[in-house]
Amino acid sequence: MKSLLNWIEDRTGLIGAARSYLDAPVPGGSSPAKVLPCTILFAFIVQAVTGFFIWMYYSPSAQTAWESVYFLQHEVSGGWLLRSIHHYSAQVMLVLIGIYVVQMICSGSYRAPREFVFWIAVLMGICCLCLMLTGDLLAWDQNSHGATQVRVNFLTLLPLIGGDAYKLAAGGPAFGHLTLTRFLALHIGVFAGGLLLLLILHGVLSRRTTAAEAERLSSAPPLWPNQAALNAVACAVILIVVLLLCGRHEVGLGAPADPDPANFFAAARPEWAFLGLYEFSHLFPGELMILPIFVIPGVLVCTVLAMPWIGRSRAGQLFNVGFTFFMLVALAVLSVKSVVHDMHNEGHQAALSEAAQQADRVVELARGPQGIPATGALTLLRNDPKTQGPRLFKLHCASCHNHADAEGNGILAEESSAPNLHEFASREWLTGLLDPEQIKGPEYFGATKLKGGDMVAFVEDLLSDLEDDEREEVRKIVMALSAQAKLKSQRELDAKDAVAIEEGQSLLMDDYGCADCHKFHDKGQLGGAPDLTGYGSREWIVGIIGNPAHKQFYGKRNDRMPAYAELPDDSAENILSAKQIGLLTDWLRGEWYEYCP
Amino acid sequence: METPHEKTPADNRRGFIAQAIALVCGGVSVLIPAAVGIVAWFNPLRQKGQAGEPIKLASLAALPEDGTPRKFPVIADRSDAWNMFPNEPIGAVFLRRTADNQVKAYQVICPHAGCSIQYESTEEGGKFFCPCHQANFALDGRRTDKTSPSPRDMDSLEAEIRNDTEVWVRFQNFETGTSKKTAKA
Repeated sequence: MKSLLNWIEDRTGLIGAARSYLDAPVPGGSSPAKVLPCTILFAFIVQAVTGFFIWMYYSPSAQTAWESVYFLQHEVSGGWLLRSIHHYSAQVMLVLIGIYVVQMICSGSYRAPREFVFWIAVLMGICCLCLMLTGDLLAWDQNSHGATQVRVNFLTLLPLIGGDAYKLAAGGPAFGHLTLTRFLALHIGVFAGGLLLLLILHGVLSRRTTAAEAERLSSAPPLWPNQAALNAVACAVILIVVLLLCGRHEVGLGAPADPDPANFFAAARPEWAFLGLYEFSHLFPGELMILPIFVIPGVLVCTVLAMPWIGRSRAGQLFNVGFTFFMLVALAVLSVKSVVHDMHNEGHQAALSEAAQQADRVVELARGPQGIPATGALTLLRNDPKTQGPRLFKLHCASCHNHADAEGNGILAEESSAPNLHEFASREWLTGLLDPEQIKGPEYFGATKLKGGDMVAFVEDLLSDLEDDEREEVRKIVMALSAQAKLKSQRELDAKDAVAIEEGQSLLMDDYGCADCHKFHDKGQLGGAPDLTGYGSREWIVGIIGNPAHKQFYGKRNDRMPAYAELPDDSAENILSAKQIGLLTDWLRGEWYEYCP
Repeated sequence: METPHEKTPADNRRGFIAQAIALVCGGVSVLIPAAVGIVAWFNPLRQKGQAGEPIKLASLAALPEDGTPRKFPVIADRSDAWNMFPNEPIGAVFLRRTADNQVKAYQVICPHAGCSIQYESTEEGGKFFCPCHQANFALDGRRTDKTSPSPRDMDSLEAEIRNDTEVWVRFQNFETGTSKKTAKA
């Protein structure tokens, strides 16, 4: 073995270099306080290794970034752990560099000849922050997309070059493919590569100054084995901390980024390290935004870089330490203030829980049999009735209609003036409609002009004070009518009650005279009242949303509901497109993909 | 003892030429690929944003008569580098009817940092509100906070009613963070 090492040493000098590294003097003896540089190097190595393996799965384009991260997170063995380690190790590295810089400031070890060592440490911290900023966007989920848009928008604050700076950062006039490719290149090529260079430079320069110091001191034992042992233990502790963080709170993945500015993620917040600055910027009015974003941080960073000169005098050293602790305390206080404010902000919490629901929903859809289409996971959400239904309902229907259960959970109209559409055409809903106590109430026709119409009169006259057998007959009519809708939630029930349903149908057509006003299959005619054929079915609901004043529905008796698709052939002049009406309808009928194990 | 070789004028000239060749050839060789890369990197500055042609955004009937604002998506073709996406939502506009039977249109994008403004109905009749940094605006778009995070009022867009039933809007995006409203190039 020795001869092999000698052979390599004679030709490369590498063995000698490694030995001299291990023999490096530690002025003043080994101590735990000196583990920091090694732990920072360790954190970087963890990042480089995990980052490399993540890179093996990552695809930077607007249709594949989120999708590739989803794949890594959910389909690759250990992928979730890889991502989590990468995320938490980044935070830990920032903290370690921060402690290291503060340690240097407090011990005054930025003084000659160690100025460059200090500056490089500060630059390493800045690199680390930039790595976090660029790495964040790569998952292309709602939170990082929204937060990064806000940050890149800040570039437009810069006078003269602002607009161009934005385009260069985003890769165009708006965020898209080229934003991702640029950020990836910056993340790996510029900031990770740069950090590596800084680490090497720091090591070389640090050893130079340490060697000079060691000459003067009597006690300067070699790095190996004692300090090396302390370093190794510290690295192990760092790893355990990172793994504990991963175990306690696995890094998730939000819903895929939506380029539609109207769906901008309202709960976007920066990472913890930037919360202090975020909160600080709230103290400034809009016109002066350039101050807290560029000018003040710039001045602060310059002050830190100037510390080797400031600290030459005793007063200067005191100023440096005082300044550092003031900054740390101020940032901590502002960060806490921001977190507490958000915890009590209902709108923010609501947006967060909606985001979490969407994140779960998109994973459920992605795991479905059709997988993720080539147009990306966003297509899954855009075509999902469960996601789009409530949005469309709130935008177009909730001015009049509620969609809420008996406890009032759901969507409540600004001013309820139309029937509550929760579980429309279900047996429960129809039972309420045919109940003389409820049909005139707010859940049905109470706030419409049909309150004084023929149906209400019919229900009040004929369906009040029923005997038990009559009650049973009305029950069968309800079953028969509800079965017309072919609701997914009632499929089994409808099949089970097939006999009762047939009886209900003949009761409906003959005994109770519904067909006197309503058409029902071959009996009755259109024009007097809504068609009961296929009542509540997909075609029926699509039809009534399209044009409630059509003679198949309310005809001239239509109160106020607008026609959302009056013109044929999915005309662009219609209020809603066929696709939107389809999504609304499927949502109202509970027809969406659910994962069944 | 050897006398040190004194530099003759000929030596100086040759030394100078060698140095010049080393610097110029080496420099140019290295700089040219870098320059090619940098020119490519500046390509986004060649691209322009959305042109502002009026588009039919909604029918007048869809707007509440009491002047409550409603949000309408702007559907247009969107291009992203090598992709073209037809008929995608590329933005949104708040429309509201005003007293004199006109229509006012406002950009949904907050002039502060680009978040999406929301409408909230309140007892006093309603307000616009941006959830990111809590900027508040009145229904006519004016800032109502004493020190608003937003550097200017909500961005209004040109809107007109055609044929008594259609609302047409000239949709544009504006730079965020500036006190003067400038269209994004």
